[in-house]
Amino acid sequence: MWYNADVDLLTTSVATVESGSEPYTLVELVGEADVTNSDALREVLDAEVAKQPRTLIIDLSGLRFMDSSALHVILRANRAMDRQGGVVALASPRDPVAKMLRLTAADQLIPVYQSVSEASAG
Amino acid sequence: MARSSAHFPEPSSRGLPLPSPTNGAMYHTYRSDLSQVRALVLQQAQEAGLAEGRANDLVLAVSEVAANTLRHTHSSGTLAIWHDAIEVVCEIHDEGKISDPEVGRHRPAPDATGGHGLWIVRQVCDLVELTSDANGTTVRMHMTLRPPGTRN
Repeated sequence: MWYNADVDLLTTSVATVESGSEPYTLVELVGEADVTNSDALREVLDAEVAKQPRTLIIDLSGLRFMDSSALHVILRANRAMDRQGGVVALASPRDPVAKMLRLTAADQLIPVYQSVSEASAG
Repeated sequence: MARSSAHFPEPSSRGLPLPSPTNGAMYHTYRSDLSQVRALVLQQAQEAGLAEGRANDLVLAVSEVAANTLRHTHSSGTLAIWHDAIEVVCEIHDEGKISDPEVGRHRPAPDATGGHGLWIVRQVCDLVELTSDANGTTVRMHMTLRPPGTRN
């Protein structure tokens, strides 16, 4: 593809959260996730999946927009986690993102929770 | 509130050219900055009186089509947006070529990691017209301001 990757449009932050006996990986997405930054998003998620966490929670509360490129990256991460016996959960999508997850039926594949704490409780 | 475009005549599917945008259309050329494209569509849709949820649907549809410009061409694309009392229309034109005018009519498998873009566009818009020839591809997305049976 020929375009400038937009580094400012999407911010990702990653944390390992100690939660009782079972720590989980929390990836927070803030901004807009689209085709111009889906490669960067893929690198972030691939790196976390490679650490083989039991649970990977993606906090969508700060995400104003998500296109199908970003969705595909999340679906790939979900598939990889599934293969290695882990679980991906999505937390607190805003309305446009929640609608996108419903339209594509991605919410049938990946559980969507109202909050990170609900997601971590499983 | 997406309705199937099957209820509408789609002359463009038979390869006829689309009529020109109406006077007063706003034009914007983009290459990399889809965020700006989305902001423009949202602003224009809201000014036209499209309800928030449907304005967001139109933003998603236009962004998906504009993303194809980045994926499949090496040149810029053009957004035209206009409205009248009945509808808001967004048109994306680029140098890409779509060989199958029926693309996006079937739902991809949920775990498919590709092919959702035009399917989403057809789901959220009231009417989608698509033409593609040697001059490039034009996708015109219509959103009715007050769909029948709703108070918008």
